[in-house]
Amino acid sequence: MQSMDVNGYYLPPGFREKISAFTVEQIGSKETQVRLKVPLVTRAFVEVLADYLKKQREAYLAELPLKKIIQVLDTASRLWLDPAYPPRQLALKTIPAVTGFSPEVVAASIDVEMESSLAEDIWRALEDEIINPLYLDDFYYSKQLGGFRRAFGPELLVSFFSENIPALPHLLFMRSALVKSACLGKVASGEPTFAPLYLKTIEDIDPRMAECMSVLYWRGGEKGVEDAAFNQADAVILFGGVEACNSLIERIPRRIRILVHGHKLGFGAIGKNRLKIDGIDGLAKAVAYDHAMFDQQACLAPHVYYVESGGEVSPEAFAQKVADAMDDIQTQMPRGLIHPGEASAINQLRAKYEMQELKGKDVRMWVSAGGTEWTVIYEKDPRIFRPSPLKRFVRIWEVEDIFHILPTLKPLGPFLQNAAVDLADEREKDFMGRLGDIGLTRITAPGNMPKPSMMWHHDGISPLAALLRWCDIEKKASVAGLGPLIKENEK
Amino acid sequence: MQALPQHVIEIDQAILEFINRGIDHTDEAMFNQLALTIFALQYQTSGLYRKFCERRGKIPETIACWEEIPAIPTDVFKTAQLSLFPELAQRTFMTSGTSNPDEKGVVAYDRGGLKLMDATIRVAAGEFLFPDRVNPRLLILAPSPESAPHMIMVYGMNRLIEYFGRSDSRFLVGPEGFKIQDLIHALEHCEQENIPAAICGGSFGFVNFFDHCKKIGRTFRLPPGSRCLDAGGFKGRSRELDREEFLECCGTYLGIAAAWCVNLLGMTETASQFYDNCLLNLFRGRPISRIKINPPWTRTLVVNPDTLEPLPKGETGLLRHVDLANRGHVCAIQTDDMGRLMGDGFEIDGRAGSGEAKGCALTIDELTRLQEDG
Repeated sequence: MQSMDVNGYYLPPGFREKISAFTVEQIGSKETQVRLKVPLVTRAFVEVLADYLKKQREAYLAELPLKKIIQVLDTASRLWLDPAYPPRQLALKTIPAVTGFSPEVVAASIDVEMESSLAEDIWRALEDEIINPLYLDDFYYSKQLGGFRRAFGPELLVSFFSENIPALPHLLFMRSALVKSACLGKVASGEPTFAPLYLKTIEDIDPRMAECMSVLYWRGGEKGVEDAAFNQADAVILFGGVEACNSLIERIPRRIRILVHGHKLGFGAIGKNRLKIDGIDGLAKAVAYDHAMFDQQACLAPHVYYVESGGEVSPEAFAQKVADAMDDIQTQMPRGLIHPGEASAINQLRAKYEMQELKGKDVRMWVSAGGTEWTVIYEKDPRIFRPSPLKRFVRIWEVEDIFHILPTLKPLGPFLQNAAVDLADEREKDFMGRLGDIGLTRITAPGNMPKPSMMWHHDGISPLAALLRWCDIEKKASVAGLGPLIKENEK
Repeated sequence: MQALPQHVIEIDQAILEFINRGIDHTDEAMFNQLALTIFALQYQTSGLYRKFCERRGKIPETIACWEEIPAIPTDVFKTAQLSLFPELAQRTFMTSGTSNPDEKGVVAYDRGGLKLMDATIRVAAGEFLFPDRVNPRLLILAPSPESAPHMIMVYGMNRLIEYFGRSDSRFLVGPEGFKIQDLIHALEHCEQENIPAAICGGSFGFVNFFDHCKKIGRTFRLPPGSRCLDAGGFKGRSRELDREEFLECCGTYLGIAAAWCVNLLGMTETASQFYDNCLLNLFRGRPISRIKINPPWTRTLVVNPDTLEPLPKGETGLLRHVDLANRGHVCAIQTDDMGRLMGDGFEIDGRAGSGEAKGCALTIDELTRLQEDG
């Protein structure tokens, strides 16, 4: 058994000397034991830290020009994209040890996250959401308003990072920095190692900006500590299971802005005119990639790909191609470790499908040699949506008409998030419109499911704009507003 | 009614004789021979199972020991019919379908298969539950066979009454639910008349009873020879107790000592049951331990959850049972239970379930719960 010591926290440089009490939590898998060093977090600790973060923000970040903030974030992303960057190399050791993901998946995941976090993307996202990003710096004239306006971010943003999509927490620190907010993140035991490494990068580039950021770890359910964090916050962003988020929301004071990113479902839809012999291998690779990335554990991952019959390549033949592609990916980017319960669920489900296949039903199954590394099922659309057991469990469901999937998916509306669509004919626009109607918040092409841009309205909300408070100056020379009142009194 | 083919009747006879030899032998050669005979019969009779075995290259001609018999995962019974003689079914048992009520596992028993199950209950319960051969009043925390004809546990409990119980033994769950007052009266009667009680039923039924006793401040001191048999988990139908807490409650509320509290592992997919060895050990003057014992007509393997390959003794993995009394469907059953081999038996940790899936994708369990709430 390997063992490893890692830090599961980040404290602002000026705050560090105040802390002497640490504890060590044992986390990690059966194969690798990870000793996670974290400060002993109490209610008072959180209150003092929150106060410190807010003061540092006021003294620096609140007045820092946006251009400079974006430069820092861009530099950080570029550093992380460099394969030789030592913190990245360290993360490629710690994250697999804690999560069981293969280093290849983690590397791909860091690339995906950082490639969409460069200066150009950030400027575009800001322009997309708030039209003139400079509203974040000062009062600027708005033609629409006919006056000046400015956008203010929260003083302190508190975020609970749940689960373990590697390299995702950086997004929260980016968002908080862009709206000039201090940020206190709570990492989950699922993956507590990336966020501290990322903040160290920020510290190396701009230590004063890092003074406004912190990462803590405590065990879930420590109500005193959690309430202290919520009470100090102006905005809270939660990631996690619907039920877990709901139980937290109940305890957050009403004055605080809350954004929730609960667990979601994705799927794919491919039309018959896309199933041409020419290019079919590339399409199969794209579909396989959508499933393999994050080992199908991201909310962006597909639970099923609907494939229309009647094209040059049948859905069944296409499923075979996807199986070949899954096998290839297994050698390039192996699936990570699997929990016994997940493996058992996959083996039980495989056996059920195998029996259908043996009975001569329209079912075919392809599986990895050895264990549960990957599975591809081809079957006719059962017209009832059942989630996949995930961990690279692919289902290709044949439909006669791609529009027929809509009634099955409609009841899942609140859980739908991401769809890959490629119909390659004039129906596509109408189809995508219908997907929007039933609740999707992102539609993309096969192979792009795990790679949303910074511009995406994450779960249907504007993630930056939703954090802002606007101040509009509607002060004109005339007393037009008072006019009727004056007349009324004079009568 | 059609009868079972003669060669099947002969196989049943041989299994029956093996079961009737009791629990104090380990006739490995005979077990293996019978297991392979039964496997050959199942291979020849069930077209579906034959194809399943052929895919794995495990056919009667190529395998020499019971460990190699291809096991059918329990979930398969939810969608496939694997009984050898479904047209001769005398009884059909169904799983509870806790995770998805629309999908219940179904196992049909023919006359011969039922006789085998009856024999396993008589022999195993006689040793593990009633080694003192008392004649207790059985109080069953389960519905009656008339109202729950498809519950294999109810069928088994009814056999216990038939083989071991007094005539005033009874079932204590009716259409209106758990008849808790009737149980209290029955326990009072046992206390007053000095009649040993054997309280048997689902584990969650016990817990609900304990909670009731606590609420009304009532405890019982049942006469010597009284005992508990609990089976199944809590399945969200009561508080979850660990084994120590459960045993403590048996002592507090019923006056029954831990060694007299036997837990049973029974499944719709296996005709035989696996009992704790605590009471048997007590009577045989052995140190008290608590593991599930494989009666000689069964074996248990522990397999790697990912590859389904057998693991060395002592390692934790999925339990796979081979049960000669399963002549009527398939003798090798791959469960979703985690555990490990110990001594002459095994320890069980509970369902592997879908585990603690990490990630932000909605999981099967989560969607099921949310849709139920909605």
